[in-house]
Amino acid sequence: MNQSLRNSSDWFAGFLKDTPSFLKHTLYDKWLVTGLYVVSIFSALAVSALLIWATDGSWRSVFSAMLDGSLSNPGRWGATIGESTPLLLVALGTIISVRAGLINIGQEGQLLIGAAVTTFIAVRIDHPGPLILTLALLGGLLAGALWAWIAAGLKYWRRVPEVLTTLLLVTVAAQLVGYSLKTTTLLLDRSPDHANRNQVSDKIPANIRIPRLTIFGNEFPLSALVAMALAVVLAIWLVRTATGFRLRMLGMNQKVAHRVGVSAVKYGMAAMAVSGGLAGLAGAMMITGGDFGSYTFTAGFSSFIGWEGLLVALVARNHPLAAIPMAFIFGSLRTGSGFLAATGVEREISNVVQALIVLALLLPPAVLYARERRKLLATVKART
Amino acid sequence: MSSQVSSPPLDVEMAGITKTFGSVVACDDVSLTLRQGRIHGILGENGAGKSTLMKILSGLYLPDAGNITIAGSAQHIDSPNTARQLGIAMVHQHFSLVPALKVWENVLLGDTGPLREKLARKKITEVSQHYSLDINPDAKVETLPVGVRQRVEIIKCLVHDPRIVILDEPTSVLSPAESDSLFKVLRQVVSQGNHCVALVSHKLNEILTATDDITIMRQGKVVTQLATSRADAAMLAEAMVGRKVNLPLALPEDRIYHGTADAPNENAAKPPTPPAKSPILSIQAAKACDTNGAVLLDSLNFDIYPGEITAIAGVEGNGQSAIDQLLSSLLRLDSGKVEVDGKTVKTGKPGAFEQAGVAVVSEDRHDSGCVMDMSLAENLFLANPQEARRGGLLQPKVMSARAQQMIEDFSITASGPQALMWSLSGGNQQRVVLARSLTSQPKVLIASQPTRGLDVGAVEYFLDRLKIAAEAGLAVLFISHELEEILHVADRILVLYAGRIIGEMPGQDVDMRRLGLLMGGIDEVPHSGVTHGATSGAAAR
Repeated sequence: MNQSLRNSSDWFAGFLKDTPSFLKHTLYDKWLVTGLYVVSIFSALAVSALLIWATDGSWRSVFSAMLDGSLSNPGRWGATIGESTPLLLVALGTIISVRAGLINIGQEGQLLIGAAVTTFIAVRIDHPGPLILTLALLGGLLAGALWAWIAAGLKYWRRVPEVLTTLLLVTVAAQLVGYSLKTTTLLLDRSPDHANRNQVSDKIPANIRIPRLTIFGNEFPLSALVAMALAVVLAIWLVRTATGFRLRMLGMNQKVAHRVGVSAVKYGMAAMAVSGGLAGLAGAMMITGGDFGSYTFTAGFSSFIGWEGLLVALVARNHPLAAIPMAFIFGSLRTGSGFLAATGVEREISNVVQALIVLALLLPPAVLYARERRKLLATVKART
Repeated sequence: MSSQVSSPPLDVEMAGITKTFGSVVACDDVSLTLRQGRIHGILGENGAGKSTLMKILSGLYLPDAGNITIAGSAQHIDSPNTARQLGIAMVHQHFSLVPALKVWENVLLGDTGPLREKLARKKITEVSQHYSLDINPDAKVETLPVGVRQRVEIIKCLVHDPRIVILDEPTSVLSPAESDSLFKVLRQVVSQGNHCVALVSHKLNEILTATDDITIMRQGKVVTQLATSRADAAMLAEAMVGRKVNLPLALPEDRIYHGTADAPNENAAKPPTPPAKSPILSIQAAKACDTNGAVLLDSLNFDIYPGEITAIAGVEGNGQSAIDQLLSSLLRLDSGKVEVDGKTVKTGKPGAFEQAGVAVVSEDRHDSGCVMDMSLAENLFLANPQEARRGGLLQPKVMSARAQQMIEDFSITASGPQALMWSLSGGNQQRVVLARSLTSQPKVLIASQPTRGLDVGAVEYFLDRLKIAAEAGLAVLFISHELEEILHVADRILVLYAGRIIGEMPGQDVDMRRLGLLMGGIDEVPHSGVTHGATSGAAAR
């Protein structure tokens, strides 16, 4: 026990898996955590301002441009929700794998494959309407799941660490997608005026698109509601069902799980399938939702959603419900950075701001985790 | 002593060594002298203080009191480095080799200064030729069988040309032939150089054959010191476990105290005629190896019957953990089988034994007993969460209510059902594990070292619970290194040695001399009726 606690990789795994127990802790702890969050976010913003100032920009105009782009200008909430939706789906997929004790970091690839398959079904099957949309979304989901299963299969068949395989499969996915975008029989646009031009797909037909809602002038695809509903379902499933309970047990102590009959292979394969499936679904909903690539599939289509979704899960401390607001924050950073051009500051600065905010959001739970761990070590020591 | 060379003989004198850990006195005023040119055997059960004493000599622990004198001059050994400078080297019980590195790289581990590959190879070759320890310096340690790995450990120790060599249970993973060749090397070391060797062991035979002097320790104290030539197995065994048993043996009155089950009747009937009842759990010709190829279980045979506590006695590392893991579905047998209630259970399959009705209170509760990051309530439902399901969803209220009941029934001290497992003390964690095991209404309860790390009160409580469970008709298997506990609760004692049962005896009026011999690996009557009977009984089925 002592040994495993001191092992640094275990520390990280523990940190990833750990439930935010500050929710269950004393008032003092809650104040401590709130205080820490305030201080660290403020510091992140201050450092960002400093960086902007150092690159001869005006932090005031940068911050107000980002706010305009994400929230304050009319209709921007809709855009932000549109960006947040796939982030949330990817994050949910990450959460389920982490809770099962697996680290799937290949969402970018699973998302690309999902989006590609969805596009293929949507543009190549000549049939109208909702049936094809459903089929296309299902296809994307399955494709993502199967892509993740390659890694899962290798893990349980040959003990190849899934961290490596999921990551490396991203590159393979990108190459595959790139190839299919150069091949007319696969995804490349067939219309003569587009032929041999940039690698783009046909446009998704209008009747195979996810309906868009407009609320108070903010327009976003229906998929946003689906994603949020999935977050709620996942949260309930994890805590309130026997299978969710077993999955969490597997993630926390594999030996105990084995003893009481939870098969690491079965649950692990299932978790990876769901994890990859959600990433695939994210891709499917991106292409049919309209916020990305205006209904055409391109090589850079994923625009790092698969990577940023990992960060959302990380700052949400692997809680499905917490992932909803966190996805929204990350979505606002994305839409906000779109308005930066007018300020004369490099767009990349928003990446720096984003990174700093991630650190700021991770710091308080990390501090708390370290504190709990110290307490635990002290009690373990006292017992031996 | 007779030598007239400039330096005095290299005797190591440890005088009045005392070391306490918390309230436990590991070494209590221990004195012994290792003499140059002689192998000194240190014999004792688990927890007798042998390892602690040797760790003090090698600088891993600082003694609370006492002096160490080497070759006539007082030494203060405050770190392993100091010990090394004084020429003290230790071969530990558990391998301290890095499997992914080559032999010569392992030998260099722990050295300071530049890596001198050539020098290392030369030294390894020298040492291996000198002591005929055949080794390939370029072999990766992970590719070597256990016996050869032990050889690497020895070479690693000898290349530094130590004057004082300490070996802590060096043969625990070796076959008899490998052990013999190790002792030949030791004999060579002491006879050729001006070395002295300390050999820590619990095996009577090797102490008798390999050493010149013997110190027997028990509960932190030296019981006897004598020359090996004047010793025999029986007297060593008696000294090792001998009069340790101050606790009154579990008498019939003690047993009746708890209630209904009529003890005298059972006692009279039990020991001679166990086959009359049919066994609830039966392990037959079980064989298993670990990943290094070391034998864990070697044709293990035994049966457990309802309504009695069967205890497995033996020195740690003789297969106890493997039995625990086997019955926790964590170990797959290479051959042999396990039957529960007449049905063969597939070994190593997730949950197989749990579903067959075998509940295990395991040796390492942190590792495989409970989930530390889950709450007390959740830990009670690990095996059967569906029991807390109402209307399709798990109900935290149902869980909490059951947990509250358990907290009262098993006197668990916790802040409440929602307390996270790691916030509980070891004794209370163990109570939670026991509560879960007993409420699952098992057919067999396995308690493997259940009292490890618990205080006296908790131990008593735990043993009481086991007795009550057995009296209620449950079959209990109690695995322990603590003889005292075994004598306190067991109806039947099996002695485990090197992965098999080498003897069996009733739990009452225990022949302590025979028990000690068996634990040391010597079966006085080589084919005693009981052992034989058990084997043939298993074969007949």
